[in-house]
Amino acid sequence: MDSQNIMFIVLAVVITLSSVLTVVTRSIMRAATYLFFTLLGTAGLYFLMGYTFLGAVQVMVYAGGIIVLYVFAILLTRGTKDSLSENTKSKIILSAVLSLVGFGLAAYLIFIQQFKAEVLAAPNESVLTMQQIGTNMLSTDQGGYLLPFEAVSVLLLACIVAGLMIARKR
Amino acid sequence: MFDFSVISQWLHNLLLSIVPEWAAILIESVLVALVIITLYAVFAIVLIYMERKICGFFQCRLGPNRVGKWGLLQVFADVFKMLQKEIIKMRQTDRFLHDLAPFFVVTASMLTFACLPWNKGAHMIDFNIGIFFILAVSSVGVVGILLAGWGSNSKYPLIGAMRSGAQIISYELSIGLTMLTMICLTGTMQISEIVEQQAAEGWNIFRGHVPALIAFVIYLIAGNAECNRGPFDLPEAESELTAGYHTEYSGMHFGYFYLAEYLNLFIAAGIASTIFLGGWAPLHIAGLDGFNGVMDAIPGIVWFLGKTFFVVFLFMWERWTLPRLRIDNILSLEWKYLMPISMANLVLMALVVAFKLYL
Amino acid sequence: MYQDKSYFSGLFCGIKSICIGLKTTMREFFTPKITEQYPENRKELKMFDRFRGSLTMPHNEKNEHKCVACGICQMQCPNDSINVVSEMVEVDGKKKKQLVRYEYNLGSCMFCMLCVNACPHDAITFDQSFENAVFDRSKLIKQLNKPGSKVAEKPMPARPAVAKPAAKDAEASVAQAAPDQAKAEKPQPATDEATEAKAEN
Repeated sequence: MDSQNIMFIVLAVVITLSSVLTVVTRSIMRAATYLFFTLLGTAGLYFLMGYTFLGAVQVMVYAGGIIVLYVFAILLTRGTKDSLSENTKSKIILSAVLSLVGFGLAAYLIFIQQFKAEVLAAPNESVLTMQQIGTNMLSTDQGGYLLPFEAVSVLLLACIVAGLMIARKR
Repeated sequence: MFDFSVISQWLHNLLLSIVPEWAAILIESVLVALVIITLYAVFAIVLIYMERKICGFFQCRLGPNRVGKWGLLQVFADVFKMLQKEIIKMRQTDRFLHDLAPFFVVTASMLTFACLPWNKGAHMIDFNIGIFFILAVSSVGVVGILLAGWGSNSKYPLIGAMRSGAQIISYELSIGLTMLTMICLTGTMQISEIVEQQAAEGWNIFRGHVPALIAFVIYLIAGNAECNRGPFDLPEAESELTAGYHTEYSGMHFGYFYLAEYLNLFIAAGIASTIFLGGWAPLHIAGLDGFNGVMDAIPGIVWFLGKTFFVVFLFMWERWTLPRLRIDNILSLEWKYLMPISMANLVLMALVVAFKLYL
Repeated sequence: MYQDKSYFSGLFCGIKSICIGLKTTMREFFTPKITEQYPENRKELKMFDRFRGSLTMPHNEKNEHKCVACGICQMQCPNDSINVVSEMVEVDGKKKKQLVRYEYNLGSCMFCMLCVNACPHDAITFDQSFENAVFDRSKLIKQLNKPGSKVAEKPMPARPAVAKPAAKDAEASVAQAAPDQAKAEKPQPATDEATEAKAEN
């Protein structure tokens, strides 16, 4: 039992607990907060593995971006009823079956892949340096072409802005 | 120049000789955390005193001068007052989120605080993505502010939180772009490397001349906005929103917001001094060996704190000069002026680096 | 950021005006501070010329004042802070109004200076004493003419444009006058009420 394993267990407990709480809680704002903890815990796992870049991206994009977007959306659209509606019996059964299937699939994949040993093998920051990431982003070899791929997503932004422009009353 | 890593290495070896490795790391982590929290509190007190004095001087007043010599004990008195105050429990609020929000804000600013390079060999967190890590964790604070606004179940905090969120998200773009400009010059994101490079080749603001200067000015503006300080303090505009997102907080919960506000100022200044003014790197002028020798004799922490407090003074100068902006003016300043300028500046810096025009 | 300017001229105009503002505050930063640290510097504290402390009636060295008891100040006063008590005396076969007591209630005075402006003989003025705190409201009612004083025969040659006693003197006189006046004035409201009651009857 070394410090690496202790940290892994702590993070795993945080992630699991807050994931469960995310779907169990009735307040939509609390759900967003627990989701935030889940995402931070995931970032913690990346840091534990030494993938600091991925960890920082996780914190920035998910914790800093997506969750803030969620919270903004909730704040802007908050009505009188911000708790979830009552569950009907058929809804509960259906979701239970779906989650069991999903859980079984995920567990099967995890057990046949032997992730744990590889993940905790050699946490080291020098696994992936910024130079490598940058070179790969701009390279035209295999695994390259990341920048053109990301640039395509600017199209999405253009679509949103154009949609706003058309929808705006002026 | 004194290398602090000698001391930390000695401590590490000492602990290793007594306890196993995991326990040694645990003890070191706890020690570092204690040091961070202590420094955090100390700098908050220093900054609050400095702010009140400088604000007074800009307004032709004397500032606090009754408690202790020159009012030095005023902030301590305020802190003890705040510690004694009751934390009010309010009905019809989400207590859990309401109590959680200040800790988000304080944690985010402590994490960025830990990234600052205090001296050669004395940085607590030093990833190879340093600057990016700072940008990432500082965005966690926005969640805390939004939760504070929502958790208070009151209209003023809600409006303040919305304004603050919109403002911080917008100005993070300028901050990111100016940092990117400087990373373009240094070629590394690791904070210790950035500083060591500047110690060897001169401060970035001199090396990068025109684009670096433009980036520095934009950083000064956007940094003030990022800290929710005037002229961008309308998230807590007291004449309209009583106190913005922390209206409903009392006692030490309010104290955390207060602490985080001032420490964010210090952190913004510290990052500016790291990426523009060379962190702990002493001032060197090529050719003057005697002068350089004298400058080397001054310890790195003095250099770092001196530069940081200089930038803090610039921030305060800006704050106490300009009146508060309206929300649409704030957003148009960012999206129509600062961001296009910093994008053009990034291209300019890229050209400077590509044609090796830097000094 | 003005709509009527083009993008770049607006930008440079903004930068210029911000620089002017920064220059102004920086100059202010180094100017001597105007804060008066009052209890410490009460010895050398000097109020401004136009400061209105409390109403006084200057007397010359022969214990003479210039008030002819016309009562214009009393009529002008919006707050009824001034009460001029006069009597008719016969001097050289002519009936003449003479001042008995000039009562001034500092507690209800709002320092509008209408009385001083209205006075045809420049008999009253505001001094610069400001340490007016007392423990009893009745002590705020002051008698401005000194005991035994009388009106000056001919107008004094030069009006002391604005009385400027040093804060020390003023404060000393206030300190001395306060107990005397308190003693002298305490029975007075009662007598006043009595006379008023008589008049009403």
